[in-house]
Amino acid sequence: MAWLSELGRRCWMLIRRRQFDADLEEEMCLHLELKEQELVRAGLAPSDARYAALRRFGNAAALKEKSHMAWGWERFEQLVQDVNYGVRAMLRSPGITIVALLSLALGIGAITAIFSLMDALMLRSLPVKDPGRLILFGDATWSGISDGFPINQLYSYPFYREMQKKNQVFSEMTAVFSMTNRVHGSVEGRSEAEPINVQLVSGTYFSMLGVQAMAGRTLTEEDDRTRDGNPVAVVSYFWWTRSLARDPSVLNKKLRIGETLFTIVGVAPQEFFGTKVGESPDLWIPLSMQKEVPPNFDGYGDNFSESLYLMARLKPGVSMGQASADANLLYQQILRGFPDAPLSQENLEKLRQTRVDLTPMATGLSALRRQFSDPLKILMAAVGLVLLIACANIANLLLARSTARARELAVRQALGAGRTRLIRQLLTESLVLALAGGALGVALALGASRLLLRLVSGGQEAVPLDVSMNLRLLLFTLAITLVTAVLFGTIPAFRATRLQLTESLKEGRGSVSAGGRSLLAKALVVSQIAFSLVLLVGAGLFLRTLINLGNVDTGFNRENVLRLQTDASSVGYKENDPRLAALYQQIEERVGALPGVRAASYSLFTYNEGSWNNTVWVQGYAVDKDNNVKHNVVGTHYFATMGIPLLEGRTFGSQDTATSPQVAMISETMARTMFPKGSPIGRHYGRIGPEHAGDTEVIGVVKDAKFEALQEDPQTVDYYPYSQQLRYLNDVEVRYAGDFDAIVPSVRRAIHDVDHNLPISHVTTLDEQVGRSIANQRLVAQLSMFFGLLALFLACIGIYGVMSYVVTRRTSEIGIRMALGAGRSSVLWLVLREILILVTSGVAIGVAVAWAGDRLVSNLLFGLKPSDPVTLMSATVVLLMVAAIAGYWPARRASLVNPIVALRCE
Amino acid sequence: MHRNEIPPGTLYLLILKTLARAGQMHGYEIAGSIQHISENVLQVEEGSLYPALQRMLIKGWVKAKWGTTAGNRRARYYQLTTAGRKQLETELSQFERVIGAITRVLQTA
Repeated sequence: MAWLSELGRRCWMLIRRRQFDADLEEEMCLHLELKEQELVRAGLAPSDARYAALRRFGNAAALKEKSHMAWGWERFEQLVQDVNYGVRAMLRSPGITIVALLSLALGIGAITAIFSLMDALMLRSLPVKDPGRLILFGDATWSGISDGFPINQLYSYPFYREMQKKNQVFSEMTAVFSMTNRVHGSVEGRSEAEPINVQLVSGTYFSMLGVQAMAGRTLTEEDDRTRDGNPVAVVSYFWWTRSLARDPSVLNKKLRIGETLFTIVGVAPQEFFGTKVGESPDLWIPLSMQKEVPPNFDGYGDNFSESLYLMARLKPGVSMGQASADANLLYQQILRGFPDAPLSQENLEKLRQTRVDLTPMATGLSALRRQFSDPLKILMAAVGLVLLIACANIANLLLARSTARARELAVRQALGAGRTRLIRQLLTESLVLALAGGALGVALALGASRLLLRLVSGGQEAVPLDVSMNLRLLLFTLAITLVTAVLFGTIPAFRATRLQLTESLKEGRGSVSAGGRSLLAKALVVSQIAFSLVLLVGAGLFLRTLINLGNVDTGFNRENVLRLQTDASSVGYKENDPRLAALYQQIEERVGALPGVRAASYSLFTYNEGSWNNTVWVQGYAVDKDNNVKHNVVGTHYFATMGIPLLEGRTFGSQDTATSPQVAMISETMARTMFPKGSPIGRHYGRIGPEHAGDTEVIGVVKDAKFEALQEDPQTVDYYPYSQQLRYLNDVEVRYAGDFDAIVPSVRRAIHDVDHNLPISHVTTLDEQVGRSIANQRLVAQLSMFFGLLALFLACIGIYGVMSYVVTRRTSEIGIRMALGAGRSSVLWLVLREILILVTSGVAIGVAVAWAGDRLVSNLLFGLKPSDPVTLMSATVVLLMVAAIAGYWPARRASLVNPIVALRCE
Repeated sequence: MHRNEIPPGTLYLLILKTLARAGQMHGYEIAGSIQHISENVLQVEEGSLYPALQRMLIKGWVKAKWGTTAGNRRARYYQLTTAGRKQLETELSQFERVIGAITRVLQTA
């Protein structure tokens, strides 16, 4: 503990150091005076006594310093001095400082914002117990319900139970429904239904994750034991806040979803958002209740209704390899062991070749991560380049300034300052600059990360990701800031202190190191130009990709279509109920009759909403290739509403009823590939099996329309009328004329006139929906364009700065040239030529780098090759033009040099 | 009279011992006392007393407070702390061990 009190004394001294110095001074004075008096008493003359006392005492100044240094604050006090000096130096040249701070703030801010998103999406572990021991069966790239055999991404509930019972390697297992049930429900006592996202989970979910309820209890194995037996729910902290205003009597409150009253048994802790990053359920309900939660899937007892993700916690000491071996062995056994397993020869062979891959899931599952991790990495690289350019710029500015300060530094060295001491001072100045830039950057990042999140979300509601400032982020920013300080500060500091004293003192402007300095400065400018070109090429590629995507023929007319969702399943309509068809039809009629509405229709999908697909069999057509077809179920006026042109035959009409022959319309591509000979109209095909090949008659062919993505190839799609394929349809499309905002309330009213309980949500336009499907391309295009322009701007400052410096240095040379008869234009050319050389070499390097590097981005491009010559050319031209403008002013100044003035200056 | 420099490292010991005997003293008195008791043989380079006192303050061996001298002047008086007394003992025994050893070497004919 002695060192602690010693530290305390040292700190006390630091705080009161003026007092300490004064005390010491007084003490020493007293000593000298007393000595002097003593010597006088001993008989010395007063003047001699004073000198004798001083002699006996020693070097007072040195002793004072020694005493002061005894306290060990020397380094610190120097640092304070240097920081002080650094701040003053920054204020002395505000132009340089502002440019440097701005470029640093933008660079550091952008990199922090992107990192905050990467952190939230890709790096942060789930807030659960020991997330490093959690594993997932498969990699969660599928979601939905499959009835295939054998499937290794989704699992059935009975499979989960068998695996849970038989495995030797997991301490606990849990199953999670692979989709979120977006339902509408109401707290008991309220009439208004609200949208609620339900996550169905097995009873072991919370205990496996080690998550305790904040209030009440979590779900248990008991809740999940009997089918439809336990209507209980755990609510999220956010839903509790949003919907119940943190009502403390939340426990045992009832919540009506569909036909069922669920009892709230607990509230999850605030930081727990489930296991999917970027989605946060409002409610967790046991899988045993899945039939009661719209859309009322019923897979609890079905061996081959594969819809679950399986997660498990490794037993202590069990390796991933052991776990994988055991899980794969059991996978084969369990699937074969189901009595209803379709064990044909072919299927057995397929099963033998199927493996379950276990993947670590410490960071949770995320569809967003798949979509955005590549774009974010690319943006990170881009912003890293921008920061490098900014560093080069600041290094250049500091070099220029240190030349101006050569005399000051020479004086300091002449007075005895060591070189390391001066370097330390210059580095401290850089650090002060960098830290100020970093602080501004953090402030900028606070806003930018929210903006970025909005861009990622692509719609009105923000994705629930926590991108707020945290310790890890701050440390990252600090590290980046320090790195930038070292990058831009080191070379100028070493350069500035390496000089011949006498020369600098004599001349004032150190011309000695000038040659080396401008070479270094030029090298920095060349690298800036090279980096800028790389960024511009990238930005150009992404921008052209976005434009190409915008120009894709969607097959439907995306303008003037309102779309919204209704949720009939949450308000008591049963899936096979004829009332459902009546509801859809009445709404279509009501809305379609509104003034300003051209057509309205229900459908299962519009665009980018997933798919329902099956293999089909065509009568009189041998199955020799993949006959997978995506299905849509639509209303009579779907094609008129979406603006999908009919190519052949007819569309659905009132003659197509539940009892009339089954009919379908097919896409152009389906017609071409599956009905290659003659017209498909009147021909038959079917789903489910070859024996159903005669089920459905083709009545019309429509133009190809994009189904899930703008980039996709033309799809084989068929359309069924809902009058014959009745199921829950949520999408309503309305083709309107006039103002969107005016039409929305009347559409809502028309729907509620039919059923005032029917929940309406997700009101948007088709155009917006299409835009949202290319959110990541847009994000990358917009941000890389921004970074590209920023880089260009910084490079311009670099060129301008360096050329101004060169011109200043060569003023006398130019004066002589002009005195000897050189014309203004030849002087202009003299300077421009130098700029041209710089820019051309930068461009050459940049083109080479871009050529080598752009293959990395090829899977984010659409409609062009990574080495697209047009993009490369235009980036080069833009760079040359901008560089010429940046260099023109110094060149012009050179051409305006007055030879007489220039020569007199020397 | 010829004066001898204090052997290196013993300055702390001398200051500690002086303060232990006198209770409290200011810098000038400490220097004078050492010189006086050693009968003018030991010569403190007077200024070097002060950095040493600062270091002893940091270590917590002495504490200082301001008082007035007989001549009614403000002076900083130093005083041993408990830690200082302990330090004196350590340094003393160490010193005796070294001196004893040196003496033995010198006396062995």
